Amino acid sequence: MTGITELLSPLHVTARVRELWRYRELIRNLLSSNLKSRYKNSALGFVWSLLNPLGMMLVFTIVFGFLMPDVRVENYPLFVLTGLLPWNFFQASINAGMYSVVGSSNLVKKVYFPREVLPIATVLSQLVNFLLAFAVLFVALVVFQASFSPWLWTLPFVILIQTVFSTGVVLVLSTLNVFYRDTAMIMEVVMLAWFFLTPVVYSVALLPETISVGSFTVPLQRMVYILNPVASLIAIYRDLLYWGYRTDIDFFVRTALTAIAVFAFGYWFFLRYSDQFGEEL
Amino acid sequence: MTVVRRYEVQPDEPVIHLHNVSRAFRKQRDYDRSLQQRFLHTVTRRRRPPVDLFYPLKDVSLSINAGDFLGVIGPNGAGKSTLLKLVTGIIIPTRGDLSVNGRVCSLLELGAGFHPDLTGRENIYLNGSIYGLNRREIDERIEQIIDFAELGDFIDTPIKHYSSGMYVRLGFSVAIHTDPDILLVDEVLAVGDVNFQQKCLRSIEGFRERGGTLILVSHDLGTIQSVCTRAIWLEDGHIHADGAPLDVSMAYLESMAHREHTQSTESDATTRRWGTGRISIEAAELRGADGQVRDFFHSGETVVVRLHFRAEGVISGPIFGLAIHHQNGAHLAGPNTDFDGLVLGDVQGEGWIEYVVPALPLLEGVYTLTVAVVDATNTETYDYRFRIGQFRVLRGTATDRYGMIALGGYWRTPVIPLSSPP
Repeated sequence: MTGITELLSPLHVTARVRELWRYRELIRNLLSSNLKSRYKNSALGFVWSLLNPLGMMLVFTIVFGFLMPDVRVENYPLFVLTGLLPWNFFQASINAGMYSVVGSSNLVKKVYFPREVLPIATVLSQLVNFLLAFAVLFVALVVFQASFSPWLWTLPFVILIQTVFSTGVVLVLSTLNVFYRDTAMIMEVVMLAWFFLTPVVYSVALLPETISVGSFTVPLQRMVYILNPVASLIAIYRDLLYWGYRTDIDFFVRTALTAIAVFAFGYWFFLRYSDQFGEEL
Repeated sequence: MTVVRRYEVQPDEPVIHLHNVSRAFRKQRDYDRSLQQRFLHTVTRRRRPPVDLFYPLKDVSLSINAGDFLGVIGPNGAGKSTLLKLVTGIIIPTRGDLSVNGRVCSLLELGAGFHPDLTGRENIYLNGSIYGLNRREIDERIEQIIDFAELGDFIDTPIKHYSSGMYVRLGFSVAIHTDPDILLVDEVLAVGDVNFQQKCLRSIEGFRERGGTLILVSHDLGTIQSVCTRAIWLEDGHIHADGAPLDVSMAYLESMAHREHTQSTESDATTRRWGTGRISIEAAELRGADGQVRDFFHSGETVVVRLHFRAEGVISGPIFGLAIHHQNGAHLAGPNTDFDGLVLGDVQGEGWIEYVVPALPLLEGVYTLTVAVVDATNTETYDYRFRIGQFRVLRGTATDRYGMIALGGYWRTPVIPLSSPP
């Protein structure tokens, strides 16, 4: 077993990063074969990545727009879409990424390559889907004359932050799933809870500002953002695309730092255990 | 434990180096795997039962230098595959230090990572990158790879429509064209038809000329002797012998023969034997020209089969015979004294008779010996001992390589030869 100190040594980490860089072509090929095989056998192909969020938007618009009008926000369909697309990207990354190592057990048991290639390629292929769907959303935003923020140019960075954050989470989950298949079962429930705890289909303003738990007063709205990086990310997306706000720079930086920390932990965790994948699978 | 893996051959350093490497596995693989089990153990505060470990490799030290062609022999479960897996990096040592300098390519799992929906060409890129090549490097090689795999127009067909032969040919072609520094081979080269196997062997020779390093795991000692420059005998997780392939295989064979002998004395009942027993064949021995009893020979050497018999009373004109079968069951030869015009007189008590093969025409493989003695009219079988013994033939002076026997023929032609056979 490699010692923790050794794993943390800069020498070890640079060696592993350099190795990963050698295999960049593999990431690219896994990415493109992921995408190709996904769309090869379906009649509508890529259109599905658009129909899915549009369908969900319709569902939420009916439920929250007509059945529960209290929740209603102005221009609700756009409001939902600006949150739902990033959320879908996150959820799809987790769901697919969690199985990225287990699902390639045939390869992992037979050939050596840096195993982190698998989760990374999976998240990146979800990113491509997201970008394609996002391009269409963008057209919709222009058509509906959404109020773009003057800080719109930061959008690529927001997407990058989300990708880094998702990769970090996926690195941890794909490792755990090798050792405990229970992980996937647990995550089904966790992701459902996470969805409702994230202001995707509702506005955070609908939540009470504070709630009392016993004798404590908890600042609920703030807590949602502090404890939930995805909520922060979606808030930034909405600032840029829906509200037309300028996101506070410290909020932005805090979210970025959280994402980097999660990624660093995930990468360390993955490296710590990936040597054992070949025998565990 | 340290593992160092570099992708370039380092001058003045062995290509592969193992220092006191041990590898343990749990005996019960799924033991205590689920959270539920963990939880129960924690709650009930019961100590977890000690983990039962076994060691396919124990304190193995081994240095392999650039250009070595190392053959690994040993019985099943000796740790051979564990050694290969350690070198490829699929598993890591439990203890000890391992360093690998150079790009490793394994022919163990040809076509691992092929994607059925992608075409042959797309799979070349995918598979190439699994071996660590970048796009430019694959671009440079793709024509050669396609050519070598003999896929023709099928190259742009999804490989789920390929035959298994095409699949493996493509796998081999990609693997061999990645320009590995270290090649791992496990009994393969049973790839495709004879022509393609020839091509594989030629490309491995080319690999040797480029200074590559090869590890070949095989039960076929002949292949090891003809391909390798060095061999190790691995058994019970230890290296029992390390040296020239011929010496190591001899040592291994002797040990195996010894073991088989101890086993066969118990399982004698399973060899088939029948006959009236008026003459019984007590034993059959195989000897070399020097009179040494052995159970392995080289093609082309003198072999003497000696049958020890005992007759009940006086028997007139018995016929002795023997049969040699290849391990695949083919009946190769069945000489007897009658065919060869030897008419025996009265036989009484104990005695022996020999059949001399001046130059063994058998090629490498395992053969069995069956012996029999019948009466002069071939109507009464005195004793018939089916597969009384077996022997192994190693590649010797014979230049033939394929099939079971050397015909001993020669070539002639009106074309003026550039060189004549020695």
